[in-house]
Amino acid sequence: MQTTSRLDDVKHLRDIFNAQNSKELKVAFDALNSSIIISEEDLEVQFNRYFVGPMEPIADPFASIYIDDPDVVMSKSTLHVRELYETMGFTNPLKNIIPDDHLGVELDAYYQLLYLEEAKEITYLRELRHYFLHEHLSLWVPRFIARALEQSEHDSKAMIFILLQLKSLLIRETTTQGVTA
Amino acid sequence: MSYSKENVESIVNNGISRRSFLKGLAASGVLSSFPGGILQANEDLNTKIPYLGEKSYQTFRNACPRNCYDTCSIKTYVKDGVMQFIEGATESTYTRGGCCVKGNSYVKRVYSARRLKFPMMQVGGKGSGNWKRISWDQAMDIIAKKLLEMKKEDGTLLGAALTKYSGNFGITHYGIEGMFNSIGYTTRLAGTPCWPAGIDAQNLDMGDMWCNDPEEMKDSKFIILWGVNPASNSVHSMKYIYEAKKKGAKVVVIDPVFTEAASKASQYIQIKTGTDGLLALGMAKIIIDANLHDQKWLDANSKGYKEYKAYLDKEIKLDNVSKITGIPLAMIKELALSFAKAKPATIWMGYGMQRHTNGGSMIRAIDAFVAVSGNIGKYAGGARYGHLSTWGFNYAALSQPKPEGSVGYTGPEGAKGEFAQVGGEKAAYTDRFLNINKTARELINAKEPKVRLLWVACKNVFAQDFDRNQLIRAFQQLDLVVVADQFFNETAKWADIVLPVATQFEEYDVNVSYWHYWLTLNEQAIKPLFEVKSDLEIAAMLSKRMNQLQPGSCTFPQSVDTKAMMVKEFNPGIYEQFGIKSWEELKNGPVKAKAVIPYADGKFKTPSGKFEFYSDKALELFGSALPTYLEVRKPYDKFRMTSPHSRWSLHSQFQNLEWMEDVHPEPYVYINPEDAEAKMVKEGDTVAVFNKQGLLRLKAKLTDNVQAGTVLMYEQWYNNNIYNVNELVDDTSSDMGAFKTGAPGVALHDTFVNFRKL
Repeated sequence: MQTTSRLDDVKHLRDIFNAQNSKELKVAFDALNSSIIISEEDLEVQFNRYFVGPMEPIADPFASIYIDDPDVVMSKSTLHVRELYETMGFTNPLKNIIPDDHLGVELDAYYQLLYLEEAKEITYLRELRHYFLHEHLSLWVPRFIARALEQSEHDSKAMIFILLQLKSLLIRETTTQGVTA
Repeated sequence: MSYSKENVESIVNNGISRRSFLKGLAASGVLSSFPGGILQANEDLNTKIPYLGEKSYQTFRNACPRNCYDTCSIKTYVKDGVMQFIEGATESTYTRGGCCVKGNSYVKRVYSARRLKFPMMQVGGKGSGNWKRISWDQAMDIIAKKLLEMKKEDGTLLGAALTKYSGNFGITHYGIEGMFNSIGYTTRLAGTPCWPAGIDAQNLDMGDMWCNDPEEMKDSKFIILWGVNPASNSVHSMKYIYEAKKKGAKVVVIDPVFTEAASKASQYIQIKTGTDGLLALGMAKIIIDANLHDQKWLDANSKGYKEYKAYLDKEIKLDNVSKITGIPLAMIKELALSFAKAKPATIWMGYGMQRHTNGGSMIRAIDAFVAVSGNIGKYAGGARYGHLSTWGFNYAALSQPKPEGSVGYTGPEGAKGEFAQVGGEKAAYTDRFLNINKTARELINAKEPKVRLLWVACKNVFAQDFDRNQLIRAFQQLDLVVVADQFFNETAKWADIVLPVATQFEEYDVNVSYWHYWLTLNEQAIKPLFEVKSDLEIAAMLSKRMNQLQPGSCTFPQSVDTKAMMVKEFNPGIYEQFGIKSWEELKNGPVKAKAVIPYADGKFKTPSGKFEFYSDKALELFGSALPTYLEVRKPYDKFRMTSPHSRWSLHSQFQNLEWMEDVHPEPYVYINPEDAEAKMVKEGDTVAVFNKQGLLRLKAKLTDNVQAGTVLMYEQWYNNNIYNVNELVDDTSSDMGAFKTGAPGVALHDTFVNFRKL
């Protein structure tokens, strides 16, 4: 797999989970080249039913839900991730607004760490990236994916595609590239 | 492994290691190489001072703004911008350092994953479940355009309706009504589902609703808890009741249900529902006949005692009282006489009792009994119901002028709210008032113009208003329903737009109680999560958009700061009453109003200036000058159903939180074993409870805490459970309420049902 593709995959998934409206979501989704044809509105309606709300979504995209407490955000694991970000040299303009362990924010951190290594050849944070991947992301993202897939509806090909892309990314990062790159 | 867990955790958690790591990071060029995204490179990275590993706590003053007697003063502990825990403020002798189980769950409420996070629009029609995110600007644009379009087409804004009640009793939350005031003459769901019949009763008798300080109860010699269950729903009051009991006072609970408070009392008297007024009349007759009434006080302070006594002599037969109330005559006599002999003695009347077709008359009868016994105007005495004597704020957020040229309703002037009664100038027009207790039918029937837009705030209409099935029809015929809330409840399900609202920890406000006498500052303790906004900010954004589209169409300030708005609510009267010079003193903790004993000076705000056994106003409005016995609603089905408050929720709030779900996961119908046996229902069976309004399926619990002939279900909103007691409750009015709150109350405990095993 090309280096650019590895980085791009994280970036597109990040952009999907950080999209604030139908248009942003559709652009990020189309960038994954799924060949699934879906309207902006249908994509967002499905995405919200899975991950956003306002009704209880199928799978909440916050680490704390899977690690600490199934009902609350901003708990222990959220603050652990905050400490990690701060040690990595990040500042978070959305601190205390969006929980630090929201999947979109975590993918953003992971993308930027990967970018340092892949595009800038700076390896200073590589150990922290591996720790973040193995000791944090791997603890909850597979459970998040499993919960969402378990309850997936027949008409949600686009959501299943997003989840499988995420799963595939995580497997690649934690097995081959994650360790050997 | 390409990393060492121990090594990384040492870097993150050990101050010295983190400092040297960050020094290396700064030197490695990382910061200038991050591509940037949500997270940004920290240009102000502090590599000089070792990271101490532990961030310190900040504390904030907060108040519980829910519709509860106790209105707790809270101290909130925040670390690095995240709420860690709360505790009851120790400065308030009432809260005394502890909150209830619901209050203690506030951290979980604020950070509940289930909170509404973004403004959203339902795109597949109401109830479709297809939701899209919209920005605040888009939301305000849609609402503003709809309002202006309606104004153009109808010539007025009476097609826009507001329903708002007790979800947040903070004073600045009257800014929601202020928002509607600021756009023109509109339609309001007026009145209160809570306590209106009792408010009218107390106002007819005493010219006010004004109770003694509950902290005085510790010195009462006799306490009757009449249809009130503080052990569940005013837990902070219990310590005074326990103290009185410990000092020898008798505590009697009169209630159709054997409640938690009853289990703590000296005596429990199970009364037949809806006959309390008759019991009070009988008790008055008994003490007058025994010459234990306070003739001196009555002569000096009352009007119509003679007529009242003549009524008791002629109409009240003690054998009948015993038969109708279901209480042995000897027990009634003992109760009345021992109450009359104890001084001071007090009665606390709950709000459930007046939710009957004869509710107001029952409160009047109990007031009269307390008056006859000479306990009105006495320390640790009183006929306690509630008070609003500490609510004299400016209502600055509420008081917004109408835009120039506004046209409104020309029908008879309607209502007010019971809390914030700000006198406006006499105008040619008024708002249009619909009865909040008949929300469904009023929305459907309103004409010229019909209601097209409904704004819901501080209220879960589907959980709290009556006749759910008719409500669905009412919502479906509206063009635009806007629901501003913290959680996705059933009302939100039937909305077109949901707006996420801040909790009290995310905004400034100020709170007082309708029971105790404390004043509490509510500070913003944390940043608003996600995209939530305070109700005031929402009003300001709407004003901004309306004025962009049509200058002058909304008078609400176009930007607000909740702290500045809170400060505007204070006035010299409040400062004087609470003995403070500035609101800033409240940062040191809550303060209590200067002590006063209601009516101790013998001055009543009735037309006669006296306690009125005989009220001309009552005759004019409700057909009876005296507190007389009025029979309760006749059954229209086999069993009476009552739907009181649960200790796990506050109306529709709190039950959806994890802690409450853990201990109280599902609703039950509580049935007397005698009735259950007749219907062959066993503990845990699923039963259908039904009547002409609707049908509910739920599990049965058998208990003789409820009387034979009555079933009980708590009024609650459960997350992920279709249960809604208002499926069965119709909107029949109670006798009183229209005098002081604009609309009669609702007789929700006069609901009748049948049930069968499924």
